[in-house]
Amino acid sequence: MAVAQAVEPKEVTNTQGAKSGSQGSKGEVERARLRMMMLIRRFEERTYQEYTKPGQKIGGFCHLYSGQEAIAVAIAAHFRKGVDALINGYRCHGHSLALGMDPKPAMAELFGKATGCSKGKGGSMHFFDAEAGNHGGHGIVGGQLPLGLGFAFSQWYKKNSGVTFCLFGDGAINQGTHNEALNMASLLKVPCIFMVENNLMAMGTQVERHSAVTDLSQRAAGYNMPARNVDAMDLDIAIAEIGKAVERGRNNEGPSYLVMNTYRYRGHSMSDPLKYRPKEEADKWKARDPITLYEARLREQKLVDDPWLETAAEEIAATVNEAIAKADSDPHPELDDRFDDILAETYPYGS
Amino acid sequence: MPKLNLVDAINLALRQEMERDERIIILGEDVGKNGGVFRVTDGLQKRFGEHRVVDSPLSESGIIGTSIGLAQAGLRPIPEIQFEGFLGPAYDQITTQAARVRSRSRSALTCPMTIRVPVGGGIHAPEHHSDSPESIYAHTPGLKVVMPATPYDAKGLLTSAIRDNDPVIFFEPKRVYRTYKEEVPEEEYTIPIGKAKVVQEGTDLTVITWGAMLFQCLEAIDQLPEEVSVELIDLRTIYPIDIDTIAESVRRTGRAVVVQEAPKTCGLGAEISALIMEHCFLHLQAPVQRVAGYDTCMPYYKLELDYLPDATKIGKAIKDCLAY
Ligand SMILES: Cc1ncc(C[n+]2csc(CCOP(=O)(O)OP(=O)(O)O)c2C)c(N)n1
Ligand SMILES: [Mg+2]
Repeated sequence: MAVAQAVEPKEVTNTQGAKSGSQGSKGEVERARLRMMMLIRRFEERTYQEYTKPGQKIGGFCHLYSGQEAIAVAIAAHFRKGVDALINGYRCHGHSLALGMDPKPAMAELFGKATGCSKGKGGSMHFFDAEAGNHGGHGIVGGQLPLGLGFAFSQWYKKNSGVTFCLFGDGAINQGTHNEALNMASLLKVPCIFMVENNLMAMGTQVERHSAVTDLSQRAAGYNMPARNVDAMDLDIAIAEIGKAVERGRNNEGPSYLVMNTYRYRGHSMSDPLKYRPKEEADKWKARDPITLYEARLREQKLVDDPWLETAAEEIAATVNEAIAKADSDPHPELDDRFDDILAETYPYGS
Repeated sequence: MPKLNLVDAINLALRQEMERDERIIILGEDVGKNGGVFRVTDGLQKRFGEHRVVDSPLSESGIIGTSIGLAQAGLRPIPEIQFEGFLGPAYDQITTQAARVRSRSRSALTCPMTIRVPVGGGIHAPEHHSDSPESIYAHTPGLKVVMPATPYDAKGLLTSAIRDNDPVIFFEPKRVYRTYKEEVPEEEYTIPIGKAKVVQEGTDLTVITWGAMLFQCLEAIDQLPEEVSVELIDLRTIYPIDIDTIAESVRRTGRAVVVQEAPKTCGLGAEISALIMEHCFLHLQAPVQRVAGYDTCMPYYKLELDYLPDATKIGKAIKDCLAY
C-alpha cells in the first residue's frame, strides 16, 4: 500500500509552489498530498482512541498534530532526501509520517515496543528517522533551535544546497535559544528555515499572553532575517511560501523565518481538558480545516471524486489499523538492552 | 484533621504563606489561570491576583533570573519549574547566580527564593519528565535542597523553605502527588530544613532514603520476615544533609542500605556511603549497600518499572547486607 511512502513521487520532489507535477498522471502529486494529510489525521485520531480507551496501551505524554497537517505535508513537498534536514519539537508524529516514516514503527514507538522508531524507549516525543533526514522530536521546548542552525551550517559548509527545516511552537520563541539561534544563523548566513508552528497556544497560555508582539513575524526583524506570515491551513499557500524560503536557502542567501499560522484541534497533551479556550474559537478554525479545504479544491479541479476519496479513506484506515495491531503484538524491548544507546560502548553501571 | 494529598498540602502551605506575607510572588508557566501542570497552584491566582501569581512565557532562564532579582530586592519569589528536566534551561541562573549571590556579595545581597519542581519517575513519562537530578544541586554550594515524601512533611518544609533566607530547591516527588493521603493540620507549622526523620525504629539495619522511594522502602520492609528489625530514615532534606541522625542510627545497627531513584554513579547515595564510612567506620558490620537507578536515561513506559528501584530490589539489598 502506498500510503506509507514519502508524500512526493520522486521525480517531482523539487517542484516549487503549488503547480501540478509535470510527470506522472494528472493530479498524482496532489492526491498524494491529500492522502498524506488524511493519513496523519487518521493516525493521530486513532492514537487518541488507543490512548484513552480502557487498558490504555499508549502511555506518557502524547502530543497530537490534528489541525496542523498542512505544514508537515508542505515541507515534504520541498524536502530533498539526502541533503535536507528537519528538526522538531515534541509534536512530531505528523512530520515523521510526511517524510516517509512507515506508520508501523511510528505506532510501535507509541506502544513502547522494540520495533518502534526509537526502539520503544522514547515514545511520542522521540520520533527519529535519521536516514530520511528527520532529526527528530525534542522534549525541551526550544532546545532544538541551535541544533537546527548547526545542521544548516553543515549544509553551507558542504555546499550541498541542502536546507534545514527547523520547527518549533509559538511558545518556544520565548526561550533564550530562539535569540541565540536566529542571530547566529543570520550572521553565518546559513540555509536554516525557522518555522514557528503558531497554533496560538503554549499549553494553556494564549499567544497574546505569552508574546509581547502577536504578529510573530516581527520577532525576526531584529535579526535582519526575512519573515512571512503564512496561512498554514491552506496547503497550497504553505507550499508556495515555504518554497520561497527554500529557494533562498538553496541559493545561499541565508536563513528565513516563517510563521505558520495554524490551530491544534486537540488538547496540548492527552490530559488537557481544554478549559482555557472557547469552543467557538476551535469551530472557527475547523471551518477552514486543511484537509477539507484541500479536498474541496481537488474536487473542483476534478482531481478526486467520491470513489477515490472513499477508497483512500478505507485504505488509510486499514493501514493505521494494521499498524496498531502490529504494535500491539510486537515485543517489548529486552531488559538486557537497558544499557544500549547511552554511549557507543556499553557500561552496565548501576544495577 | 483533614486528610490531604501532596498536591493539596503544598497548595495549602502556599496559600497560608501568601496570606501571611505580601512579599511572596509565584511565577511560572501556566501557574495562574491553569493552576499549574499538576494543579498545585490551583486557585491561587483567583485568590491573590495576577500581580502575585504570574503566568510567565515559556522561559525558564527568565523565570529563575527574574526571581533572583525579586529576591535580592527583598521579595520572596516562589518560581515553579514544570518538570525537573526543564531546570536545564535555568541551570545557569541557578548555579552561577542564585547559588552565589550571598558569597559573591559577602552577604550584602541574599536570594531568599524557593524553586518548586516536580521530580522523579513513576508516571510513565520519558526523559526530562522523570529525572532525579537532586545530587547535581546538592553538589552546588550555596543552595539548599529539600525533597519531602509525604503531605505533612511537605507543608511544614515548604513553609520553612519560603521563610528561609537562602535559595531552596524544593523537589516534589510527582509520583506521590495524588497517591498518598495523610492527616495534615490546617494551622501553620514548620519542619526544620536539614533534619531527617526516623520513620520507623529498628535495631538490625538502617535504610536511608528520600522522596518517592520512601514508599518502596516501606513496602520492602513490610515484606521482610518479622524478626528482622529495620530502622528507616527519610532524609527529607538533601542539603544540608543530616549526618547526625544517619550516624547515630548506623552506629547502633552497624548496617546501612541507601536507596535512591537517581542513576547510581555520583548520586547522593555515594555521598552518604562516604559519610557513613567517615563517621561510623568502627561500627560497621557490612559494607554500605546502594540501591539505585541505572546509569541510563529514564526509559519510556514499560521499561520504567525496570529502571525504578522497587520492593524486590530493596528487599534483596537488605537481605544481602544482613547476611554479609
Ligand atoms: C524547557 C521546557 N519548558 C517547559 C516544557 C513544558 N511544555 C511542553 S510543551 C509546552 C508548550 C509549548 O508550546 P508551543 O511551543 O507553542 O508548542 P505547541 O505545544 O503549541 O506545539 C510546555 C510549556 C518543556 N517541555 N520544556
Ligand atoms: Mg503553540
